[in-house]
Amino acid sequence: MSLRFAACVLAIGLATPPTVATQTPPDVDLLLQHLDDLYRSKSSIARIQIDVTSPRTVRSMRVKAWTRGEDEVLVVIEAPAREAGTATLRVGNNLWNYLPKIARTIRVPPAAMLGSWMGTDFTNDDLVKESSLRKDFAARIDRRSTSPAGWWLTLDVKPGVVGRWARIEMLVSDDRLPVEETHYDRKGRLARTMRFDEVKTLGGRRLPSHIALVPTDTPGQRTEMRYLDVQFDVPIANDMFSLSRLEQARE
Amino acid sequence: MNARSTLRIAWRNLWRNTRRTGLALAAIGLSVTLVLAYTSIMRAYSEWIVETVTGPMLGHVQAHAAQWRKDRLMDRTLRDVAATLAQLRRDPDVGSATARTYAPALAARAEEGFAVMVIGVDTAAESGAARLLPPMPQPLQGRQALVGRQLAELMGVRAGEEIAVVGQGVDGSLANELFTVTTLVTTPVDLVNRQGIVIDLGEAQALFAMPDEAHEIVIHARHPEQAAALASRLAALPAFRNAEVLNWQALAPEMVNLVDITDLVGMLVLVLVFVAAAAGVANTMLMATFERTREFGMLLALGTRPWRIVRLVVAESLALGLIGALLGSAIGVALVIVTHRTGIDYATLTGGGPSELSFAGLRWSLRFYPTLAASDVWRSVTAVCVTSLVASIWPAARASRLQPARALRGT
Repeated sequence: MSLRFAACVLAIGLATPPTVATQTPPDVDLLLQHLDDLYRSKSSIARIQIDVTSPRTVRSMRVKAWTRGEDEVLVVIEAPAREAGTATLRVGNNLWNYLPKIARTIRVPPAAMLGSWMGTDFTNDDLVKESSLRKDFAARIDRRSTSPAGWWLTLDVKPGVVGRWARIEMLVSDDRLPVEETHYDRKGRLARTMRFDEVKTLGGRRLPSHIALVPTDTPGQRTEMRYLDVQFDVPIANDMFSLSRLEQARE
Repeated sequence: MNARSTLRIAWRNLWRNTRRTGLALAAIGLSVTLVLAYTSIMRAYSEWIVETVTGPMLGHVQAHAAQWRKDRLMDRTLRDVAATLAQLRRDPDVGSATARTYAPALAARAEEGFAVMVIGVDTAAESGAARLLPPMPQPLQGRQALVGRQLAELMGVRAGEEIAVVGQGVDGSLANELFTVTTLVTTPVDLVNRQGIVIDLGEAQALFAMPDEAHEIVIHARHPEQAAALASRLAALPAFRNAEVLNWQALAPEMVNLVDITDLVGMLVLVLVFVAAAAGVANTMLMATFERTREFGMLLALGTRPWRIVRLVVAESLALGLIGALLGSAIGVALVIVTHRTGIDYATLTGGGPSELSFAGLRWSLRFYPTLAASDVWRSVTAVCVTSLVASIWPAARASRLQPARALRGT
């Protein structure tokens, strides 16, 4: 019997590519840090096409986004013309929207953090919380994925952390790129799925240039982001992430 | 012997002892007055609940797009609202029909944003007593807004100031506009007081990219008690093919329970008061016949038929009950007429507490307006008469079976 068992193991070992058989799980912390850094680096300037599909309409806009470090983000809508110049500034946990039509800057209150950001399926909270994954969640390698080859990560929210998600599962390919991310709410229900594909070289990095966000509860609803061009580690003026700059952010 | 002479003798007998009859009348009258006063307050209470629930916020029947009540998503709207409203207003059972839109948004006086609900309403149709909005000198026009008083205090906004409103159209587009605050309002609805920015319906439809659409149609029925029938009839209209049309009882079942419990408790107390009243009448009649044992013996000795004595006692009892009930009704009705005009203010009765309270998202004024239906009066008068009749049977039977000789001796 033990002979047959050994034969089985041998057979499996031969059938599977040796790279996978010898694959050791990556260091979770380093991997998350790498993912955090992927679209952002020390600083970044990106042009992104955003398409929001709802059962009712399809809406497209193009935005330009500046980031510096983990805490500073400025997003300005460039198209359509009707909304051009509308901008969002994030510094730390604060979020402001500038609305050129009424020439007002409004700070988003905590009560509105779960509201939609600019009519997309992303929430204001997504913009603010994107950097706190490592802080708020306990991450572990969950299981091996074969197609595509990679690892499933499970992130469980740490006790005492107030937030929308109880658990996030991530599929990261062996070339350390995100493939899929699923978010589970506090009741353990699947709330939304993010898919990353169309890997391209942008700003000297290989990264998925297309991200689709599909909420579970509304059939026919999705938001897609497509990176048109990205520059990494470019110098950005110091006053870029300020309220005064927000109000004249058209470029 | 004919009935008229029986009645005449009964009437005379009643007033032979004015004090006893007076006391009996007072007891019966007081019971009836109490019953009517209590009924009127119970009625006021039920009507008060129904009116507070249906008047300002719910209406008697509401229509929404399917699913809207569940998730309140902006894009779940009713279409062709103007045509639907016109059709509804032609319906003989519909008292009024108005449309509303609800849009979550951010509002700001300066830089600080506040989460608000922008409510688009037909301000002309929805203002007045027991409506969503207090009476207004003129409806809102263009970029004018009413702000709920608690929200205004939170935002630090005053009448005459300008506020920015930022939200999202039903198509996901950005909706932003400046509004001038005309008035700070306190309404019967907490949502409006705490989060509400009320603007003109047309303005809201334009701002949120939903022309001729609405989230809610509110219908006040001409006959509120037929709300369920109206709802099921309207649900069959082609205009509401994909909509959910519900009467207020279905929209707020917890309120129906409240009314039912109130009615049940009211019924129990009413039965108790009636039993007390009946006992009073029976007692009076018993005393009246026991007292007159000698007299009945004399009548029997003189050859009066026992059956005549039965009729006599029953007639006396009925007359006593009827007069007492009519007197009591007169006083009760007068009381209700007087208090109905001004209402009874619970707040002052309980020593000047708050004049209204907040429950289930609504403001409840603590003033009641006692009311009576004609049926309430007839019912209590009939009940007293029946009680008198029943209460007189035993004394009457006893009187008719007296042995004249022993009765005359008074044993």
